[in-house]
Amino acid sequence: MKEKLYKKEIWITIIFSLLLMLAGHSATIFRLFPSMQQGTFWGFPTHYILPILLGWFGMMIVCAVMAVVCNKFDDDMEVLAEQSKNSKLTVSGR
Amino acid sequence: MEYSLGNVWIGLILVIIMFSAFYYVGWYSSRKTTNEADFYAAGFSIGPITNGLGMAATWASLATFLGVIALIQKLQVPFVYLWIQWAISIPLLTLLYGTSLRRMKVFTPASFIRSRYGKPSTVVIVCWMMLIMVMYALGQMIGLGQAFELLFGVPYNTGLIVAGLATVGFIAMGGMYGASYNAAFQMVVMCVAMIVPMGAIMKAMGSSGWWFPPLAYGDMVPAMLEKIPTFFDMKYDIRWYFALIPAFTLGPVALPHLAMRVFTSSSVKSARWAVVWFVLFLGLLFAGTYTAGFAGNFFVATTGNVIAKPDQTILILNLFYNPTLVAAFVMGGALAAGLSTVGGNLMAISGLVGNDLMSIIAPKMQAKQRVRYGYIALISGGVVAILLAFKPPAFLVTSILWAFGLLATTATPAILLGVWWKEANKLALIISSSICGVLFIIISPHVLPSIVVGKGLAAALGMSGGMVTVPLSFAMFIVLSIVFNRMPSLAAYAPTLEDKKVIDRIHGWGDEYEETRYNGITWPLVATVVCMAVFWWGLQPWS
Repeated sequence: MKEKLYKKEIWITIIFSLLLMLAGHSATIFRLFPSMQQGTFWGFPTHYILPILLGWFGMMIVCAVMAVVCNKFDDDMEVLAEQSKNSKLTVSGR
Repeated sequence: MEYSLGNVWIGLILVIIMFSAFYYVGWYSSRKTTNEADFYAAGFSIGPITNGLGMAATWASLATFLGVIALIQKLQVPFVYLWIQWAISIPLLTLLYGTSLRRMKVFTPASFIRSRYGKPSTVVIVCWMMLIMVMYALGQMIGLGQAFELLFGVPYNTGLIVAGLATVGFIAMGGMYGASYNAAFQMVVMCVAMIVPMGAIMKAMGSSGWWFPPLAYGDMVPAMLEKIPTFFDMKYDIRWYFALIPAFTLGPVALPHLAMRVFTSSSVKSARWAVVWFVLFLGLLFAGTYTAGFAGNFFVATTGNVIAKPDQTILILNLFYNPTLVAAFVMGGALAAGLSTVGGNLMAISGLVGNDLMSIIAPKMQAKQRVRYGYIALISGGVVAILLAFKPPAFLVTSILWAFGLLATTATPAILLGVWWKEANKLALIISSSICGVLFIIISPHVLPSIVVGKGLAAALGMSGGMVTVPLSFAMFIVLSIVFNRMPSLAAYAPTLEDKKVIDRIHGWGDEYEETRYNGITWPLVATVVCMAVFWWGLQPWS
């Protein structure tokens, strides 16, 4: 259980760090692949408006999912901490 | 064209109303401040929406209304990309260490450094953070003085004294409670002042999307491309875009005044939801800024008018298209942006000196007395910033963007590795932070112009320098930690069991200590290799 939670914490941190970086630095992808600098969206060139939208609403969605996932992870950690506290009390009670 | 408000009384009435509101909030908040936690962290009680607004206001400085729009005029779309990525700062900070440190109930990131690395390392980090906070506050103070100069037509020095003292007054009165509630209110003022008048400007310019200025001006793009065909060009090479990460993404992660906003949250979970609101509000304001930058370029290209001081673009657009009262209100929005940032800066200086340094200098001092020193530090920090702003030393008025690279080099590795790696060594921190910090200053064009990595804007803003010193600092810290921890003669600097237990505790494991957690050396060595590759790339000639 502990090992599983530890690995989960590491993966959550890595995945959300990458998602945040992608949302905030999406312009770099357009620079990396210049062929993507074509077309328009809402009248704007895609390589202008998509980084703005991803850096705003995209990041907001990532942050909302992050809040749900990390808060759920905290609940799991609290259950674990409670269990180990209770098992310690039982041992000392004996 | 230059900005000049025809009617001084409008500006005066606006400023009096705004400052009355700020002082009322400060006075109301002062009644809630009874202990250290209240003064430095608003009693760990701020809810997600208020905190999200406060976070966004603390981040958005005077530059959002003035400098950025000027730089969009100059650099066009690449500067928009630079600005978009600022929004990562607080979410990344919260994910990587904010909630861990909130669990620890620290007041500043340096409080964690003290618990994790001990006193000498704390002094090093506090010195770097103080330098950056003074640079930050100084920039805002200069802006506030200039804003008063523009609003009332008074000499800069007079404007600076009045604006500076009035600002320090309400911040000192309210502590973190006042700074939080005022920042939330200031963010609302900023958003309204940026977005609503911009709608009228866009309508006057002929856009059918005037009803939502941040995103609905696409119909103006063909006319813009006709006048400025290169406006949307990405211009720089891939390294320029990558160089945003070490200096501008990793630097703000360690900004103490941003971290302190996370620490004021009513709970760890509430901090995470505050981040969602932060992105929403900051995105709205920043998108408005990009619109203003676009409109400024469009205005110059289509009307033939020349804006003598591009910093004043948004003000001139409002004077040109909107009534004087609206133009004055926009100036009020710019003032609110400056004030909220100064509030954060001064609270950070107060926490760093009153709590962190005083705990080292006089460890037995009573908490009440430490709060008194916090007040003294806050007022002194404000007064020093005002005095420096009369005739600012050249090295201190360097763009605050440059200072982000310095912070990324000196403080970010200490915090991130301190939270995530038990091997992080105290002496390794002092050496890597000091050497790489000094190196960043040396290779920038601001101190020794003959020794510079990179050129042009990338060098001036610390992007090329950061691409060298940030990875070097991480790599040096990791390698030295591994080496020093295995040298018996340096055992005094190795992390103790208590230091390591701090790491498990702040990650939420309670008293369940496990030596193998956050303790390997394989991944830190892989990170070192990656850092050295980035370091080498940064050293290659810049075009």
